[in-house]
Amino acid sequence: MPQQQQPTPSPSPKPKKKIRVPRVVNGVEQMVEIEVDEDSGPGWGPNDKHTLLNRRITRVDGSLKAAGAAHYTYDQRLPGMLYGRILRCPHGHARVTKLDTEAAAKIPGVKAIVPAPLTELRFAGAPVAAVAAVTPEIAGDALRAIKVTYEVLPHVVHADAAMKPDAPKVVADENNVQEKAKNGDPAKVEAAFATADAIVEAEYITQRVHHACLETHGMVVDYRGGNSATIYASTQGTFTIPADAAKELGLEQSAVVSLVEHMGGGFGSKFGIGIEGMFACRLSKETKAPVKLMLTRYDEFVMAGNRSGSLQKMKAGVKNDGTIVALQAKQYRLGGIGQGSQAGQPYIYRMGDTYREIYALHTNEDSAIAMRAPGHPQASFAVESLVDELAYKIKMDPVAFRKKNLRDEVYHRQLDRGAKEIGWSRRNPIAGGNPGPLKRGMGCAVGTWGGGGNNQCKVDLTISRDGSVLVACGTQDLGTGTRTYTRAIVAEEFGLGMNDVKEQIGSSKLGSANPSGGSTTAASLAPSVKDAAIKARVMFVERVAPLLGNAKPEEVVFADGKVSAKGQSLTWKQACAALPAAGVKSHGEWRADLQSRGVHGVCFAEVEVDVETGHIKPIKMVHVQDGGLPLNRLTLESQINGGMIQSLGQALYEGRVMDAQLGLQLNPGFGDYKLPGCLEMPELVPIIDDDDKREAVIGIAEGCIIPALGAIANAVFNATGLRIRELPITPDKILMGTKV
Amino acid sequence: MKKSRDGEHNPGRRKFLKGVGIAGAGAAIADHLWEEKTEAKEEQSTPQTVSGATKISLQVNGQARSVQVEPRTTLLNALRNHLEPAVTGPKLVCDVGTCGACTVLLDGKPVYSCLVLAVDATNKKITTVEGLGSPEKPNGVQAAFVEHDALMCGFCTPGFVTTISAYLKKNPNPSLDEVREACKGNFCRCGTYPRVFEAALAAAKAAI
Repeated sequence: MPQQQQPTPSPSPKPKKKIRVPRVVNGVEQMVEIEVDEDSGPGWGPNDKHTLLNRRITRVDGSLKAAGAAHYTYDQRLPGMLYGRILRCPHGHARVTKLDTEAAAKIPGVKAIVPAPLTELRFAGAPVAAVAAVTPEIAGDALRAIKVTYEVLPHVVHADAAMKPDAPKVVADENNVQEKAKNGDPAKVEAAFATADAIVEAEYITQRVHHACLETHGMVVDYRGGNSATIYASTQGTFTIPADAAKELGLEQSAVVSLVEHMGGGFGSKFGIGIEGMFACRLSKETKAPVKLMLTRYDEFVMAGNRSGSLQKMKAGVKNDGTIVALQAKQYRLGGIGQGSQAGQPYIYRMGDTYREIYALHTNEDSAIAMRAPGHPQASFAVESLVDELAYKIKMDPVAFRKKNLRDEVYHRQLDRGAKEIGWSRRNPIAGGNPGPLKRGMGCAVGTWGGGGNNQCKVDLTISRDGSVLVACGTQDLGTGTRTYTRAIVAEEFGLGMNDVKEQIGSSKLGSANPSGGSTTAASLAPSVKDAAIKARVMFVERVAPLLGNAKPEEVVFADGKVSAKGQSLTWKQACAALPAAGVKSHGEWRADLQSRGVHGVCFAEVEVDVETGHIKPIKMVHVQDGGLPLNRLTLESQINGGMIQSLGQALYEGRVMDAQLGLQLNPGFGDYKLPGCLEMPELVPIIDDDDKREAVIGIAEGCIIPALGAIANAVFNATGLRIRELPITPDKILMGTKV
Repeated sequence: MKKSRDGEHNPGRRKFLKGVGIAGAGAAIADHLWEEKTEAKEEQSTPQTVSGATKISLQVNGQARSVQVEPRTTLLNALRNHLEPAVTGPKLVCDVGTCGACTVLLDGKPVYSCLVLAVDATNKKITTVEGLGSPEKPNGVQAAFVEHDALMCGFCTPGFVTTISAYLKKNPNPSLDEVREACKGNFCRCGTYPRVFEAALAAAKAAI
């Protein structure tokens, strides 16, 4: 019997395992299952054993930015470039019945006018048409010369009005209120309330705030009628640009390159080409000339998105020993024409039996979009206020009360740390109990986030014979310090200085990368960079070992710009001279074991309230944040500061103000929309929680913006005895509360 | 660019600019950066009527630069959109004098360049952030900004650097409160303020 032919054995497949990772779509995390290698390579090593990472590294692009030499999308100027502007709808809800562009088109210097794709405009500020002209001033002339005839439709912009049964419909034949989820057993919750010693029932409202990126949304489309195009985009996702731009330009996706050299802030608002990018492409396609379309500041306010507002009706029961036994929550997401976002209650607390209903409530306003920790600050503000109310009601210390109802021990140690730093023992436990009109108080709150990465980053590393080192990936640096840690990881692996390595990012021609949303960048990119570095090291050692007494790979040491083994030592340049002509090239892939997810943060705030004027002066804020291996302590602290400051803005100053009659935003500019500024800055103390020993990279950008809203509101209560349940906490609310 | 014709709907380009009113207003608003009142030099310039695109000369960072602008073109837009090569250190962020990102120095004094007309800056020495130092040779403030991580996205940075550089000349040894007061006309969104203050104080200390 002929021997049966055995199939050729394929190389034994590496053992795989399935894990769930976050993917960011339009700035919002979604969990997906992927397959990764079971066995992984060397890790980061202990967090306190690094030579560059986990130290204070100044930004590699800092000097460019400080000298005005960093080139942003807004700074692009190409030969023959036209300037685009967008005409916006002046009504809360309208239909365009006629668009007369004749006069506008005749203005010298006006090169193209394109209409918006939709004729039914559901919010004031919705785009009607766009123009391209030789200067932005002439583009403005053209907008003023376009004659639009509108059929004005009824609108509703305030949440309470939109809930009424006879309210104007934001979308015809659809209810403004839409049920999204129901979780829990209401009967069980009712029964649990009966066992409570005290009950708090309250309604919390968070306003809609703006990202207010200093560089507005927009792009420069460099298309001159050929088969290819280059897009300079102010975006959080280099790779979210080419596909849609190519579609608009009628080109193959592979012929469209996007570049993001530097970008002036995104905070969740900049993914994809957007309506402004669509217009820029259409104008460029029509004129066969480069078009720069950056939104004006007014545009940015009325049509570039905002953080979802929230209305949360909560009822909770507590026992005298501090155990929360029941929660009932009715949560409305106020997302304008969009869906809005809001984390489900009881957020991170253990509250016994819980029941919640979540609704989207539509109004005739620009859609809410992702903003740094979408949905979390809203949920956190409500639950942290509620928890504080419960603590005061049963006369329990708010820190002790939180510990009682938070399972995770990490919060316990962080609460202790924060309390020590703010001087919690100085706090008067009686709310409003301090004498005199200037009353100080303290509050605290906690927050969580994921911050894990995914396998989208592909990194290429080249070590050349002359000793130069280049690490490349198409990712983008939003101001978080991506460039700096990318360089540092490679420099550390080879014992080099920061100036010995160069990085290249911000181009869709380079290895792919995930969009920067959900704090996923560091945990996606850093492992791939590390992987590339480890692989390059193996190849490098193979070449130089013969020069070092045929040392074994594990004997070769890279330190202080030297490669050493067996008592012999080469300078980096000498070692590199032994490389083949093409140098060493490695390709880095993501490794799940080099990152993790799940961060904890606590915020403490101290405020001083003048109860005669209502003025609130923030005195001090402390934020304690864990995040595994801190890649760069300097930039990490900056990000924590940023989280506190943006929260401070939402807590005390910012808010979109809408006119009910006209349906218009009344404060679409920095003159009327108050950002926190130099004079409002309290003492800020960013604390990296080094008790977190995880040898893994985790993103923290979102984690550190979540708890401050509650901390500040609770500090105001402790100072004054006034529970302000609607943000922002402005002086009028204090005065209304103090006048009996 | 063609010249505008009379009679068409084109309010922005009609003969509208007489004298110096708008530029004076721009300088006045930026002046609130300073506690003491300074004489408005602008009032000494000769009133004249300009219309259409005009060739003017601007002294930018020590160089005479010729540029064609409309009377309504702001100094900011002249620098960014018309000068060849462009000067893009000053950023366009609000365009209405509320954020400070476009701050430049006119004869050493910080102004919002979005509130100054280019034609009104012809007889002034214009210094932008690029004129204060370079990545290779930063001035003390720029170096301190890097050292103290006083920048994140970097879009507000040129404005802060320019404002603080001018302020430290006026007050070489300021207190923290004086620094806050000096840059209260500049906004940052990433949240760099505490480190901006640190950098300003460190730059002052290093210069003494």
